[in-house]
Amino acid sequence: MERETISVTVNGRAYERQVEPRRLLSDFLRDDLRLTGTHVGCEHGVCGACTVMMDGVTARSCLTFAVMADGAEIETIEGLGSVDAMHPVQRAFWEKHGLQCGFCTPGMLMTAVELLERNSDPSVDDIRDAISGNLCRCTGYQTIVDSIRYAAHLMREDGA
Amino acid sequence: MYVGQAILRREDERFLRGRGHYVEDITLDEPIAHAAFVRSPHAHAAVTRVDTARAVGMPGVLAVLTGADWTAAGYGEAEGVWPVKDMSGADARTVNRPFICTDGVVRCVGEIVAMVVAEDRHQAQDAAEAIAVDYEEKPANTITARALDPDTPLVHPAHGTNEVLVTEHGLKEETEAALARAHHVTEVVVPTNRVTAASIEPRCYMGHHDTVNDRYTVWTTNQAPHIVRRYFTKSLGIPEHKLRVIAPDVGGGFGMKLYHYPEEPLVLWGAIVSRRPVRWVGTRSECLLGDTHARDHHTVGRMAFDEEGRILGVKFETLGAFGAYESQWNASITNAYHFTMLSLAYDIPAIHTTVRGVYTNATPVDAYRGAGRPETIYQVERLIENGAHEMGIDPLELRARNLIPAEKFPYQTAIGIIYDSGDPPALMEKARALCDYDALRAEQAALRAEGRWMGIGMVAFFDMAGAGPVKMMNDLGAKIGCYDVASVRVHPDGRITVFAGSHSHGQGHETTWSQIAADRLGCDIDHIDLVEGDTDRVPMGIGTWGSRSLSTAGMAVYTAADRVVAKAKRMAAHMLECAAEDLDLADGEFTVKGTDRKLSFAEVANASYHSGDRPADLEIGLEETSFFDPADCTYPSAVHVCVVLVDPETCAVTLRDYWAVDDVGTVINPMVLHGQVHGGLVQGIGQALMEECAYDPESGQYLAGTFMDYAIPHAEDVPSFGLDSHFTRALGNPLGAKGAGESGTIGAPGCVANGVIDALWHLGVRQITQPMTPKKIWRAIEDAGRAQQ
Repeated sequence: MERETISVTVNGRAYERQVEPRRLLSDFLRDDLRLTGTHVGCEHGVCGACTVMMDGVTARSCLTFAVMADGAEIETIEGLGSVDAMHPVQRAFWEKHGLQCGFCTPGMLMTAVELLERNSDPSVDDIRDAISGNLCRCTGYQTIVDSIRYAAHLMREDGA
Repeated sequence: MYVGQAILRREDERFLRGRGHYVEDITLDEPIAHAAFVRSPHAHAAVTRVDTARAVGMPGVLAVLTGADWTAAGYGEAEGVWPVKDMSGADARTVNRPFICTDGVVRCVGEIVAMVVAEDRHQAQDAAEAIAVDYEEKPANTITARALDPDTPLVHPAHGTNEVLVTEHGLKEETEAALARAHHVTEVVVPTNRVTAASIEPRCYMGHHDTVNDRYTVWTTNQAPHIVRRYFTKSLGIPEHKLRVIAPDVGGGFGMKLYHYPEEPLVLWGAIVSRRPVRWVGTRSECLLGDTHARDHHTVGRMAFDEEGRILGVKFETLGAFGAYESQWNASITNAYHFTMLSLAYDIPAIHTTVRGVYTNATPVDAYRGAGRPETIYQVERLIENGAHEMGIDPLELRARNLIPAEKFPYQTAIGIIYDSGDPPALMEKARALCDYDALRAEQAALRAEGRWMGIGMVAFFDMAGAGPVKMMNDLGAKIGCYDVASVRVHPDGRITVFAGSHSHGQGHETTWSQIAADRLGCDIDHIDLVEGDTDRVPMGIGTWGSRSLSTAGMAVYTAADRVVAKAKRMAAHMLECAAEDLDLADGEFTVKGTDRKLSFAEVANASYHSGDRPADLEIGLEETSFFDPADCTYPSAVHVCVVLVDPETCAVTLRDYWAVDDVGTVINPMVLHGQVHGGLVQGIGQALMEECAYDPESGQYLAGTFMDYAIPHAEDVPSFGLDSHFTRALGNPLGAKGAGESGTIGAPGCVANGVIDALWHLGVRQITQPMTPKKIWRAIEDAGRAQQ
């Protein structure tokens, strides 16, 4: 199949790659760039495990073709936090037990980051609404809600 | 002491940073080829032609394999882990789930007919689509309740019946007598809906054959890698010493990832044939179709009460779904885990049950978080709920009258199982206080006066967790020994690696097993690492399922660590010139009691490996292994209460509140415990309100093949939970710990169902099958209204 050349910036690093037009962004990230933190749970856009940031808003990488990301800035779970310190959202999920098997976690974290960027003090209902497109089969969601509320607190403290 | 503390999880950082290591993430030195499968689109059909000619030459194709090739290669079939004989003593009419269709008949949608191995996933899928298969459709039945009807098509005509087995348990005459003399008898048809675990990580396998060294490796999304290794001796005939099975990070299992699924030997076969490592990653549709389904019991229950609402007896007749074939553990549900728990938390003098396992043209059924107990609890509790309403006794009060009092423990149920410890009345009183029960009833009455429908649901039950002991589980049908294993290896620098035969796929063993080991070894928890999920590194294991790991593998860690300490004390006593009994071990130091003479654990460890000056009969090294066979199962118990609101206009259910009071014995890590309960509750709530592996009854087509059709709860669908506890020690293991993994899942379906019925009882609604969707609720209200006219 014909390949097309795309240029994308992922976690601050520029890549130029040739991809088949049918290549999904999720496969491109996982297989071509070896960023396997982005997970694919349903490949039809429901479970949210594959959620990444594309030009500042969340996107389902399993429903996005890699060629659609040409010229885009993408952030994945691997770009969250620094080598020395986890992002407040990551710290909050750790402290509040917001994960068990870890499979939905990358998508859940990216969704939480997006929420907290536009709402620094979300209510429980705001949080449940925001993550309603991310499925988790382990936690029952309560500790995820707790984690995001706590992350908001940490981020307000950090910002203060 | 680390045990009992909410230690933050030591495994979390890699998951939070996207550095988890799941089967789909693994790379090898050689390029990995991919497998794709051709699956039956029919519920029942003869396969008259499989033409692979077009696929063979397609780009990137490395191998195209069919059932004829499997037969020609001389490979074997699956074997039941838990086969059960029926009442006549004959073996059950077992037809094991095939790996690939070899007999020219497919018996459920999704059965594998052919496999393609190609350079990449898309090429494999392209070639699979180019394989032409001709089918002649046969009549099919996917409905368990109809399986034994006279005109129902037979799934396996050679057996002449769809019945797999029939077993009876309990006290038949006493139960009939109780029903005959009862003041009141409640009867309810209580089918449980067919659901599936739907872990967010799809199943995924990778096989590799090292032809030079004649070694095989399989990476698998599995909960019990040593058991997988065992069943490769049956499927591909690979001896256990030649095969390494690795289950790395696994994204949720819930029992569903316990089996030697068809795709697992097929990818290794593909690797053998193509001389390339081969991986298959299930699509969501393949998983919703091919992952084992669960529950699907069709049960009629009758319960006898006296004038005071005391339960005199309970009788059940059940058709237990097998699906089209016997999956490896399914007979354990119908015949070990279902009937054993029929007494729940109640003092019931007579219980009798008849279970008929049946075949239908549907996906094989097997264990999913709870396995038999969600059905049992739901069914018994639905009878109690209706009985209470019919007799005009408050549902909580009627339950309280029937609970097993604390002084009756150990308590032998009428079905024969002995609950070692528990205090159901204490759980009930805590639940009553937690939910403020009287206020809830007052609120319900006030809302009903306004035309708003609120219901209060509750359940009180025991779980049977922690399988074995080996002998008891053998007697219940298990062909594998239900013990577990741990090695504690002290390195010469005093740091420790623990190897355990359990497998963590969300449970947090790296934290909890280390808590246990650190306490026994008197060391810092950060000096311990855990290895699980690798048959070449861990000596043996039976794996994680049935809320068993803490009371088997966890106790093996405990026991092996104690053996290490005993040996290290002998070495330390030699070095300190004292008796071993005179030594204390704490904070990484051996101290001679009453003195300031001490040695660090690391010094003793080093001497254990490198010093010639040691007791003559003390072997070099510091490593111990325990094969731990528990003295008993564990019997966790719980009382749940919930509040539901049913919208009179839309019939949508809002689950407003949910409280759970658990007795799981000694708690290792309360944070992890709460996580287990929360997650289990939501899976049970999903079963009650949303989830169904639906088939079209006419065509046998599967209707729940995507996450848009199979509805698992979202964050907006569930409340936050109120948890409390009342602990009694388990008697079968030294820590006094009981299982905690399934309590939520097994209690919630009955609790939520009772809440909905309680909300609608005044309208004449007596039973609604799960999932209780708005459409079914609307229908039930309409039917009840017509019946009352």
